[in-house]
Amino acid sequence: MAGDQRRDRFRRGAVRTAFLLLLICIWQGLSSAGIWNEIIFPAPREVVLALASGFGDGTLPAAVLASLVRLGIGYGISLAIGIPLGLLLGRIRLLDDTVGSLAIGLQALPSICWLPLAVLWFGLSEAAMQFVIIMGSLMAVTLTVRDGVRTIPTLYLRAAPILGATGWRFYRYVLFPASFPSVVTGAKLGWTFAWRSLMAAELLYVTSGIGSTLMTGRELHDMALVVAAMLIIVGIGLITDRLLFRMGEEFVHRRWGVG
Amino acid sequence: MALVELKRVAKTYQGQSGPVHGLTDVDLTINRGEFLCVVGPSGCGKTTLLNVIAGFEAPTGGEVLVNDVRVSGPSPSRFVIFQEPALYPWLNVFQNVVFGLRMAGVEPAVQHAKGMELLETVHLARFANAWVTELSGGMKQRVALARALAMDPDVLLMDEPFAALDAQTRDMLHEAVEEVWQATGKTIVFVTHNVREAVRLGTRVILMAAQGGGILREYPIDLPRNRYLEDLEVVTIASKIRDDLRREVLRGAEDGGGDGR
Repeated sequence: MAGDQRRDRFRRGAVRTAFLLLLICIWQGLSSAGIWNEIIFPAPREVVLALASGFGDGTLPAAVLASLVRLGIGYGISLAIGIPLGLLLGRIRLLDDTVGSLAIGLQALPSICWLPLAVLWFGLSEAAMQFVIIMGSLMAVTLTVRDGVRTIPTLYLRAAPILGATGWRFYRYVLFPASFPSVVTGAKLGWTFAWRSLMAAELLYVTSGIGSTLMTGRELHDMALVVAAMLIIVGIGLITDRLLFRMGEEFVHRRWGVG
Repeated sequence: MALVELKRVAKTYQGQSGPVHGLTDVDLTINRGEFLCVVGPSGCGKTTLLNVIAGFEAPTGGEVLVNDVRVSGPSPSRFVIFQEPALYPWLNVFQNVVFGLRMAGVEPAVQHAKGMELLETVHLARFANAWVTELSGGMKQRVALARALAMDPDVLLMDEPFAALDAQTRDMLHEAVEEVWQATGKTIVFVTHNVREAVRLGTRVILMAAQGGGILREYPIDLPRNRYLEDLEVVTIASKIRDDLRREVLRGAEDGGGDGR
């Protein structure tokens, strides 16, 4: 059984690697064919050089760090507000009918639509970008947690008062852990939204950050740098998904037996 | 001495075609230390009876007194063991058992001593650090029993707790509950659809009437302990109750009874 599984995983890994290599070959072939100008269609070699020089002079790591710090703050605020809010929405009907329906409405609004207002309110500043990140991810976190609360087995909740878990203790020791699987799902979804919002927000004006690197590349007609920045953005997305959320999901699966 | 008193307790639900009677004018006194088993046709209101005593549902008429105090909501002093164990999967076995003590702010050292003692009682001490998902159904119910005893309730309410278990596991849990009852002198109200189980465990069995009609008949069980499901006396009394039950089910069906609550 274990051997089969390992062989299967190995085969899938090999298929993926082969596919990736094929893509790079096609890319190399297209750029060698010289259909498009090298300025608008960089060769793989150029991109690798751009990556190497960016890492060599420290500009790319600095940009990545700046973006991650920005994301950490905005996303952190989203979680800090969204998780408790979702728990309350799942429990209190009045709150759900009011704030909950507002959140559903705002969920339909792509975060980039907040940019004009954010700039008016906060100027071209960190605060404006944070605002866009928060508006982009808060609703997803809140609504996922709210839906999770509603699917908690009734018996968990019935057992709470006879175990003396009432008032804030009920929220802290029963409702929060019982909805933890959906908190992980909400955090993952929120991260995706926050990351996308951040990239949009960083295109706003010249600042540090990987989204800004993308913009700089455009202005300098350095398409190799643009593609390099895109690769880094994809890479960070994959790494957080694999490391952070996969771990969270596996933990939930082991303990709660779901998810 | 009366511990639980139900005085003309009624419970009516709003059904789609008029009111549905869950309980009608139930008068019942449960004495301290009694092991009361409740049987009846499905939809007779035995779970409603338990929920009303637990405080999960408010009666629409009459009142429930426990220790002369009117029941107004759920409380640790009236602990319920459900058909599903309802343990918390994010806690291990020990943490589940002492969860109520922790909520009550009991010191960790006392929690530990009490928790381990209770796990000894239900023969699960070596599973203290296991996760709930690693346990069998019978083990889970034993943890639920230990968790209930940790709250030191005045009355233990059991709602068909062993209905989902296989016969061997159920036999073992009957012994465990009997042991606990003899050792602690707890008052137990045990709802079941299994008449023989009721006779094997109870000091008294009450048969409820179909469609929330209230208590039909009572049977004191004066058999010596420890009893077995196969004991001739158990079987004899059970078959008499079962005859009464069958008559009641047929009568309920003739009255146009479907599957009311």
